[in-house]
Amino acid sequence: MAGNNNGERGQHWEAQLRKGCLEMAILSSLWTGRLYGLEILRRLANKSHLEVAEGTVYPILARLKAEGLLQSEWVEAEAGHPRKYYWLTASGRRRAQEMAEAWNDFSASLAVLVGPVLKGK
Amino acid sequence: MTNLAQARNEQIESYLTGLDGALRGVGREERDEILREIRTHILDSLPDNPEAGVETVLRALGAPERLAEQYQTEFLLTQASRSFSPWLLLSTAWRWAHTGIRGFAVFMVAMVGYTMALGFLVTVLLKPFLPNRIGLWVGHGNFVFGATSQGSGVHDVLGSLYIPVTMLLAFGTAVGTTHALRWLMRTRRRPAR
Repeated sequence: MAGNNNGERGQHWEAQLRKGCLEMAILSSLWTGRLYGLEILRRLANKSHLEVAEGTVYPILARLKAEGLLQSEWVEAEAGHPRKYYWLTASGRRRAQEMAEAWNDFSASLAVLVGPVLKGK
Repeated sequence: MTNLAQARNEQIESYLTGLDGALRGVGREERDEILREIRTHILDSLPDNPEAGVETVLRALGAPERLAEQYQTEFLLTQASRSFSPWLLLSTAWRWAHTGIRGFAVFMVAMVGYTMALGFLVTVLLKPFLPNRIGLWVGHGNFVFGATSQGSGVHDVLGSLYIPVTMLLAFGTAVGTTHALRWLMRTRRRPAR
């Protein structure tokens, strides 16, 4: 029973960690160019295994745009319907860089601490 | 149009109508933009799930009310983080409190800060009517700001300065709370789902 509780807590913690990184992950997914919503979701899933609820990403995109970190435009597709593409503004690129650097420093410093735990596997 | 395609379209339209209705408070232009984008997402996702069908795509998006709530929270937080209105900050913190621990903590900051400011203000208003009951009371190891009972061996150290000092305190507490809330909302992480 206690083992199950620990397992559930571990999963909950991991889910919270992934959610906390979502904003950085979305900004980073747009680093190399413009993407539309579904492409962002696919990139998050393929590159970082961030399987986020689809309905979570669109409100965040709307807010990041309102904050001036993203810009968007509807683009007509050759086949099918128009899609809303997003790309990083200058301040969005700065924010992505700051977040990536902070993340890098944080994970490097924690790696020292968790190293012995991993070796004890 | 086949019956299957018609039923699929009806499901999509029903979902979008539900989302539209649940997006109360979001401007018409922004609402149309949201509906257009979600419609595109549904249509784009369908080829990936030809067998599972539209139900799976809509389920992955979540209930329209839940999706609308996330939009409203994101929009309100952005709006409130730029605002100086205690009412907007407090109501946004209240909405945020429903989404996770961080939101709840921010709401508590809002409640404690604004209640304190209001409390200071109430004592200022009462001071002219109850001059011997309202003050900064010190004595016998006691320290009471505001109302106290008479004859408990304490004396008012502020006297006539009580009103200006407390007005300043009320103003400072309200302004401090407002800035703290704006900062907390600006530096927020995405509200927990």
